[in-house]
Amino acid sequence: MTSSSTTSMRDAFLTRLYQLGKQDRNVVIVSADFGAPALDIIRLDLASQFVNVGIAEQNMIAIASGLALEGKKPYAFAIAPFATSRCHEFTKVDLSLMKIPVRILGVGAGFSYDDSGPTHHTTEDIAIMRALPNLEILCPADSIASAKFADISYNSDKPMYIRLDRKILPQIYDESESFQEGFKELKKGEEICIISTGNMVHTALEVQKKLEIEGKRIGVIDLYRLKPISHDLKKVLSNYKMIVSLEEHILDGGLGSIISEIITDNNLKVNLKRIGLTKYIYAYGGRENIQKICAIDADSVIKCIKNL
Amino acid sequence: MENIEYLKEKAKEIKELTLNMCINACTGHVTSSFSCVEILTALYHGKIMRYDAKNPKWEGRDRFILSKGQASPILYAVLANNGFFPKEWLNKFCCADGKFGVHLQNDIPGVEITSGSLGQGFGVAVGIALAAKMDRKDYLTFAMLGDGECYEGSIWEAAMFAAHNRLNNLVAIIDRNWLCVTDFTENLVKLNPLDKKFEAFGWEVKTINGHNFEEILEALKDIRSRKRDKPYLIIADTVKGKGVSFMQYKPLWHGLAPSGDNAENAKKELKCEVNYD
Repeated sequence: MTSSSTTSMRDAFLTRLYQLGKQDRNVVIVSADFGAPALDIIRLDLASQFVNVGIAEQNMIAIASGLALEGKKPYAFAIAPFATSRCHEFTKVDLSLMKIPVRILGVGAGFSYDDSGPTHHTTEDIAIMRALPNLEILCPADSIASAKFADISYNSDKPMYIRLDRKILPQIYDESESFQEGFKELKKGEEICIISTGNMVHTALEVQKKLEIEGKRIGVIDLYRLKPISHDLKKVLSNYKMIVSLEEHILDGGLGSIISEIITDNNLKVNLKRIGLTKYIYAYGGRENIQKICAIDADSVIKCIKNL
Repeated sequence: MENIEYLKEKAKEIKELTLNMCINACTGHVTSSFSCVEILTALYHGKIMRYDAKNPKWEGRDRFILSKGQASPILYAVLANNGFFPKEWLNKFCCADGKFGVHLQNDIPGVEITSGSLGQGFGVAVGIALAAKMDRKDYLTFAMLGDGECYEGSIWEAAMFAAHNRLNNLVAIIDRNWLCVTDFTENLVKLNPLDKKFEAFGWEVKTINGHNFEEILEALKDIRSRKRDKPYLIIADTVKGKGVSFMQYKPLWHGLAPSGDNAENAKKELKCEVNYD
């Protein structure tokens, strides 16, 4: 099922958005001085639909909100840590409270900006964004999903946060996937299932593959819609004895917390092991090295599962 | 130009409505509301703003963004007075069975945005003005700010953007009442020279007496047809709590409604108020 992709999720999303923008002049990108190769064609070809606010994320959300109130379909585009933390209160009042349909497109989930250091890591966004009512959260694991999320966001009248990885990731899905369910059980397992999102789904698949060679069948779920959670997820989780949540995100309030809430609220008879981050970290030498130090790489996860 | 005496009477009527609703509710930002009553009266009763009280979302309306959302009582009074919603709603201000509370709420007829968190509404107003330019629509966007609100950095982000994008369809009004919550602005962190700051940011600026209808109307004269290539700011020099002697110039009256003897005295003073200059 996996094969290489040569397009980043960001460029896949923006390329699809360009096509939508060509048909609908209400599609507007509001950028906080953030660029991309796929954005260049939008800047040239659809210049009247591109607004650069400069390094001013609060203003980015405010301007996008004003545009949305007047019928535009704005995409607030910035690097993820600043698109979420810096302007959080504007997102709270404009998107969550007033339900203004702005789509926040944040690039750089997790340790995407690895050697840029912790100011540029996005490891608390799930926690802070899912605390906001009415805000939907999508996190694609490959470029196919990312391009589809462009359509999903365009056709929705709800405010949304779409968190994109920066890396070019291998393809998981094909074009026939509708992405309406909110999650996908990519691999069925026996007793244990890893649930993850974004780039960590690939780590989960790597873990699954290595353990399969050893005769252990692990399930893998891609939770690509972090909010709202699909009602059907609890059914799938119940098929397992142990769920392992794996995230490149602080444990407090992240993906593992979501699963914990589902288990508790639905009285599921399933155990949960949460693997994620506990702190910010100054570490360099690339993302894989940082993940290793934080014990969220494939080998660390395998070791953890074997100890369960 | 609308009759000045008519506007003065209207302002008095609106002020009394505002005071009574806050006294009844035992809450509400009376002083923040009183400093901008003349501006709002001029906009809504001085044939400045285009609107349709029976169709609050009329496409051709001018947009009014109250960024200083704590002045919601005065806007609610203006809107009720104009027939946007029943006046009876004012009696239920901050009541369990009421429609609205202390800060501005966007689902009330005539209200464009929820505000109360200072520094936010202005940027939304800028976005609304930008949308008009994109779609070649001729509505104007008016934004009312507090001067204390100008401490928020987001105000300056929005101001820079508006000037850079030549939003000459945007009119901002700063209710320059010289007071924040705890102190006078110039004791706290100096805002002056506020006019020169906005001019440096690329705005056309006019400073007026915000309680003088002649000056207000002159500043807003030909607002639609006057040629300019910059967004326009009116700094309205005002008095926080104007019209009630014991509330004027007093930081500690921020956010409070008078009660008991104070309430009765406030009502008496408003009834006698004749001097708007």
